[in-house]
Amino acid sequence: MQASIEQFLTVTNQIILGKQHTISLAVCCLFANGHLLIEDIPGVGKTTLSHTLARLLGLNYQRIQFTSDLLPADIIGSSIYNVETHEFSFHKGALFNQMILADEINRATPKAQSALLEAMEERQVTSEGKTYALPKPFFVIATQNPSHQIGTFPLPESQLDRFLMRLELGYPNQQAERELLLGKNRHALIAQLDMVLSPEILAQIQAAVTEIYVAPILLDYLQALLNYTREAAEYNTGLSPRAGLALLTAAKAWAFMQQRDNVIPEDIQAVLPAVAGHRLNASNSDSKAIVAPLLQNVAIP
Amino acid sequence: MTALSVNPKILIFLFSAIGLITLPHVANLPIPIFAFFSALFIWRFGCIWQPKLLAPKKLLFLLTLSSFGLLFSQYQSILGRDAGTSFFILALGLKLMEINSERDLYLITYLAFIVAGSQFLYQQSILMGVYSLFVCIVLIATLVIINTPKPNTVTALKKSGSIMLQALPMTVILFVLFPRLEAPRWMIFQESSQSLTGLSEQLEPGAISKLGLSDELVFRVKFKGEIPPPKQRYWRGPVYGHTDGKRWNITRHQSVVAKHQAKLDFSGSGYEYKLMMEPQTKNWVFALDMPNKFPATLRQISTYQLVSMKNSQQRAEYQLSSNVNYNTGYLTKTEFKLNTQLPVRDPSVKIRQLIQQLGANKSNPEVFIKNLLNHFRTEKFHYTLTPPLMGARPIETFLFEQRRGFCSHYATAFVYLMRVAGIPARVVGGYQGGKINPVGGFLEVRQANAHAWTEVWIENQGWVRFDPTAAIAPERIEQGVNIEQQIAAGSANFSSINIDNSALSLLKNANMLLQSMDYSWQRWVINYNTSNQNRFLDSLGIGDLRSLFFWMLGLIAVVTIVLALILFPAYKIKQDPILRLYLRFCKKLSKVKLIRQPHETASAFAQRAIIELPAQQVQIQQITELYLTLRYSNKTELQTFKQLKQHVQQFKIQSK
Repeated sequence: MQASIEQFLTVTNQIILGKQHTISLAVCCLFANGHLLIEDIPGVGKTTLSHTLARLLGLNYQRIQFTSDLLPADIIGSSIYNVETHEFSFHKGALFNQMILADEINRATPKAQSALLEAMEERQVTSEGKTYALPKPFFVIATQNPSHQIGTFPLPESQLDRFLMRLELGYPNQQAERELLLGKNRHALIAQLDMVLSPEILAQIQAAVTEIYVAPILLDYLQALLNYTREAAEYNTGLSPRAGLALLTAAKAWAFMQQRDNVIPEDIQAVLPAVAGHRLNASNSDSKAIVAPLLQNVAIP
Repeated sequence: MTALSVNPKILIFLFSAIGLITLPHVANLPIPIFAFFSALFIWRFGCIWQPKLLAPKKLLFLLTLSSFGLLFSQYQSILGRDAGTSFFILALGLKLMEINSERDLYLITYLAFIVAGSQFLYQQSILMGVYSLFVCIVLIATLVIINTPKPNTVTALKKSGSIMLQALPMTVILFVLFPRLEAPRWMIFQESSQSLTGLSEQLEPGAISKLGLSDELVFRVKFKGEIPPPKQRYWRGPVYGHTDGKRWNITRHQSVVAKHQAKLDFSGSGYEYKLMMEPQTKNWVFALDMPNKFPATLRQISTYQLVSMKNSQQRAEYQLSSNVNYNTGYLTKTEFKLNTQLPVRDPSVKIRQLIQQLGANKSNPEVFIKNLLNHFRTEKFHYTLTPPLMGARPIETFLFEQRRGFCSHYATAFVYLMRVAGIPARVVGGYQGGKINPVGGFLEVRQANAHAWTEVWIENQGWVRFDPTAAIAPERIEQGVNIEQQIAAGSANFSSINIDNSALSLLKNANMLLQSMDYSWQRWVINYNTSNQNRFLDSLGIGDLRSLFFWMLGLIAVVTIVLALILFPAYKIKQDPILRLYLRFCKKLSKVKLIRQPHETASAFAQRAIIELPAQQVQIQQITELYLTLRYSNKTELQTFKQLKQHVQQFKIQSK
């Protein structure tokens, strides 16, 4: 299992160059069975990353381009009258795939946004009184442009909370960019990729992640972090209990990726910016700066 | 922080605290000063929501000037209790107008503490103490709120309450041990506006149409053994020996006191008691008739009255002893003359007839006295607190026309008749009776117990007390005065009303309890002055200032340590052995200025250490790994622990 994880990471890093840490966090998010939000300017490889992950996991992949005229029915699906059987039948929408890339999610209207986000939380879709389960595993990787750009509908805090992590890719460094310029076409590379982790193994990994041991003193640390955000003047709203659970799961997944069967404070600190950043300050995309006072003021037990 | 960015919640809290603090001063300060303060207060309070209305600097300057003018117009100085308090209150009001920084908030809070303390210059009752305590809790809560990023009223109040509780042991230690300083007199009760009622320098019963009865406490007595029966409870005050027919004045003649004391002959067993006088305008001390032993701070004058040589305007407690059986011995010629003094105008025929009729006889005054008392009893005399005015010849009007009056009427008429008959007699003022507080077991004597009786000099017996009021209204003497009953009766009707209502008696008991608490409060807290402190400390064996100092420091240290142990459980030395090993490792590294921050992870610290000590990379990594495994995983084996211990012990910084 570990060998295939290694391979998974290596291959991804060959496609997206110079972003090892961010890629590890993205994989960690998948292992923790959470949805991922990537926020960055266009053209830094958001789509490429999600496409690569889908290919390597052997999941069927659907990209939904969010635009301002996107309707909820486009995502969920709609009932269509069948002339032959004289009945309405449900035509599944783009959502019924294992990995969804919701591209530029903040370009769509709040109505379309919430249709997606509801499905993310409940992992099922209800249309005309009937409930349809979404496939397993079900991942959403959403990308959004920084909210100060024109024509965006920023996601409300309540919906941001549904994403386990928010990541920024950022510009590659000089060396990575040179390699990228010299290398092959990324689309061609992705098309050649084979499945590395089967959905069965992924399910095993996700089960193993939940078994990771967390010492009580680490729960103290986690609670101290949560309390700090609730009491300190730096933050307007504190972290919710759901955020606490998210932090715990992400830390476990991170510990699993470091091949440990227990969490250590380093794991919590490693995932903290990605997990807490968008929950503490939605409008600032610099997660590290957001959590810096949190990391510096809470002592490790 | 600008004036606008102060959290309105902080301001509301601060203002309510200040409102509570200044409220009791309404009764103490002149109206213009309090009105000025209230105007400033309300103005600034409104500005919390309307910051535009804040006073500009120039206006503030004018306000300051006018407040100084106000202060000057009222007192002409800032010295003294009232002026000082007014000064602080005005300063507080003006400072409220100028909240520009956090420092201003603190300054206002400290000023408010001073104003809260000044309340005790006016009133030292237990209720005021409780109120001030409550106000201080609110004030400390304000400080808590200023220092909390997300203020919450209930949490702040709870916190300040616990701060007060934590301060309690220290308060007790400092209260008991800290050397008492006597406040200079001008600081406390120098104000002329205070009028304390009490017995006056002269009696003029004919000019009083309504005797006001005040419930105000005069003194309290705690007897060592049994309490004397109501009949014996005569608390001796001034002697009114000189009359002009209308007024009776205090005997001014100062004869040699020692001679009077030498003549005194006591018999029978005495009463020992502690007398606690409330603040008085006069320095009279009302001892049970007749005082036998008294402390050196008191002086006995020739009329056997005790006077205090100290400031009477402070509460004082005296250890006294009295005998109810005594003989004052012979009368000198001067004394005889003084005590048979009569007004210039000769007594009327009617008076002479009355005296004749009652069998006046110089050599046998007792018959005359008996007849006279009988006369009062049988001849439709009435006891009333609302007597008619007696006019130009008060005694005759009283004796022959109105026949209605209170104790002074009877006493003066009685003495006058005695003197006309040539028998030495005088009016004695003081208090009679007193109510026993069953909870505290002490006797309370109030202004309503004020009384006047007479003394007649009888051969071989000396001055003998006669109370003509007892003849007309024996209830007054034997049951003790009951204010409600007297006011309800208003005339001679003295039927006693026994209210047997359990609810009322409950109320009465509660009142008794309160009175008893107040007595203890006065005795043990307010009256704890230099001499009491010295006596108390001596009884504990703390004689000199040096040992007092050591005791104080020692107790404060003990309390601090105990509080610290209770309040900081997190700092208790109860560390995990694994953590202890790791901290030892950290300590070793701190020698080369590698100090682990509390928020720094072990790995991050190890990385820093490796950069500094690349030669010891393996060791550092091993220790860090072992520590992380032991501390955060569920596989803590003794073997691993021993390994860590060994590594840490062997770890030594190698100089580069």
